[in-house]
Amino acid sequence: MERPIFKAPGTPVEELDTPAFVIDLEALDRNIETVHSFFRAQDSGLRPHVEAHRCPAIASMQLASEGTVGGVSVNTVGLAEHFANTGVRDIYIANPIVTKVKIERLCRLARRASIRVHIDNVRNAEALSEAALALGVNLDAVVGIDTGLHVCGVQPGAEAAELAKAIDGMDGLEFVGFSTYEGRKASYDDAQLQDGTREVASALVETKGLAEESGLNVSVLSAGGTHNYEMMGVVPGITEVCAGAYALLDSRYAAQKPDLEPAARVMATVIGRPEPGLAITDTGQKAAGADFGLAYLDAGFDASLKSLSAEHGSLALIDDEAERLKMGDHVWYIPSDIGTTSNLFDYMHAVRDGRLEAVWQITGRGLYR
Amino acid sequence: MESYRPAVGTPVEELDTPCLLVDVEALEHNYRFVAETYKDSVCKMRAHIKNTKSPIVAHLQIREGGTVGGVCTAKVAEAEVMVEGGIDDILIPNQIVTEDKITRLCSVAERAKVSVAIDSADNVRTLSRIASQRGVSIGVVIEVDTSMGRGGIRAKEKGVELAKLSHSLPGIDFKGVMSHQTLDGSPDRETRFIWGRRYIQQCLDVKDAIEAEGIPVEVVSSGETFTIDVAATIPGVTEVEGGTYALMSHNFDYMDDLRYAAKILCTVVSTPREGTVVADVGTRALASPGGVMPFVEYMPHLTPEALHEEHIVFRCDGGPMPEVGDKLTLISGQQDMLTNRWDQYVAVRDGAVEAVWDITARGCHN
Repeated sequence: MERPIFKAPGTPVEELDTPAFVIDLEALDRNIETVHSFFRAQDSGLRPHVEAHRCPAIASMQLASEGTVGGVSVNTVGLAEHFANTGVRDIYIANPIVTKVKIERLCRLARRASIRVHIDNVRNAEALSEAALALGVNLDAVVGIDTGLHVCGVQPGAEAAELAKAIDGMDGLEFVGFSTYEGRKASYDDAQLQDGTREVASALVETKGLAEESGLNVSVLSAGGTHNYEMMGVVPGITEVCAGAYALLDSRYAAQKPDLEPAARVMATVIGRPEPGLAITDTGQKAAGADFGLAYLDAGFDASLKSLSAEHGSLALIDDEAERLKMGDHVWYIPSDIGTTSNLFDYMHAVRDGRLEAVWQITGRGLYR
Repeated sequence: MESYRPAVGTPVEELDTPCLLVDVEALEHNYRFVAETYKDSVCKMRAHIKNTKSPIVAHLQIREGGTVGGVCTAKVAEAEVMVEGGIDDILIPNQIVTEDKITRLCSVAERAKVSVAIDSADNVRTLSRIASQRGVSIGVVIEVDTSMGRGGIRAKEKGVELAKLSHSLPGIDFKGVMSHQTLDGSPDRETRFIWGRRYIQQCLDVKDAIEAEGIPVEVVSSGETFTIDVAATIPGVTEVEGGTYALMSHNFDYMDDLRYAAKILCTVVSTPREGTVVADVGTRALASPGGVMPFVEYMPHLTPEALHEEHIVFRCDGGPMPEVGDKLTLISGQQDMLTNRWDQYVAVRDGAVEAVWDITARGCHN
């Protein structure tokens, strides 16, 4: 577990022990307000995907701000259990849950919270139904649709509608609708995002039409994410968007979403200046993460992150001001993937006006099961 | 935080997934290999626990033999965890520069032999000041850059200057020199020996230059997994900082004497199309710096195609198609990053759980 030196609330951020995962509370508040106020004006609602931060303190802020559907989405049963334990009462597990152990856990959790699960296989639906029936619980079922990510999900249209029809008759399962996640689309420009969003949304709406023709009641169409929340959220028929990264953002989204701002950064310390043009920091892949590219060096001078090794960062120093960087100075990284970085620290240092306001535990970290 | 404690004796196939396994026999094999390699040499292992992050795992190598009796850690927080776990000799081959952390390091030095690597005069002066104030002695080794282009001195003269300074400062016990080496790709044995010797020689050159000034050099800590056998043959090297060798990953597959001890158990959760297999582990739990992929043990017909946050997608070609619910074991391409994602090792022998070991130094970034 992470063991930072804890500093008292009120301590200037520059005095924190490093590497420190630092949250700018004002930026976080603004991001939440930007996205939630958008959804307040729509028929659709936001379902915060809390896997992006794994932190109950942030989930509480999200659910307290109107514009949501009143629940969250997660990837694993472990995260569902954890957020249920912190008081969330409506949870969507956006993944197929197939093993006996996990199905049992899910059904038992359904006694304490409203649980919705992603299904893309009729045998899996039968197993879920059997377990739910045995425990006397009901699970909401959405048919997961593959709209291009090619991970899980059935094809939109007839295949999805048929699975929906099969699920509809099963005890213990309540078919509620269709869900898809098309991926982050970090490299898309606005026009590509618009096109992609339209394509995904119409696949879902058409599938809904087919299901309704066969007499099914479809109350949920879930799609989109931080990359296109404002495009997906206005499509007639789409009922919810599961977005997660919008709260803290990261360097890849920052380039794509000018309406949002990076609220999470990692503060690092320069531990060496072994030669001109090069600075070494105490923050590498283990703290910042490098699963989706290098972090962005957020500096007021001309320098960049050249590489991250396990425990070190190597900075290329370009201009004279950068060259003045000395041992003990701090530099800031904006993570390239907020979900990765949130899964590497145990604490977030929440900061307002440059001073520590609170330390939040990332209690959902590592809940892969 | 992850917390999974299956009962001892649980068959592997009944474990909840994803799950980080340690194949105890493979780990013991790797530890025996090191004990044998260093049985009769001056050079010994000082295992780098940044890769294993668990005191019990560190103790197993020390008990097996071939070691200096202590370990390396990359961070002060890791050193604390090791000392709390009963290890009493720590080398941090890294620069510890802030007052907060140096003070913390001095606290560790109250309970264990502690050395740290330096590459600047300012750093050793600060170490001296704080160690003196706290009445402890901190060992220092001078880091020599041989091939990493990261921390470390670039010129012998700088090493001599730092050795003289360290030798003269209160609270500082000058110990010697250290270096880490790196070699790209999958080198054959001859290449490993040629380049390993060449790099480590740069570190020895600094030692010679310091000794020429009349300052004794007790420690030459140089070498890592790819030079375990190389360093043992180089006179003057006193210890090797091997890390990956213990649990292994396929980026070191060219080290034929070592076995894969870290494995990730996962479950097939979807077979959405003919030839496509999706399992329940992804980048979050595996880590994938630079896009590195794991491989499936015993199933070469499954080729990893894509890694997502919680999923891995395989193409199945030329062999039986796994079914939803089937379990697979994966071998990581980057063991160091993998372990840092987990809070427990499930230690298995003969297909059943033997013990659960906490990875107590996971996330010790500070």
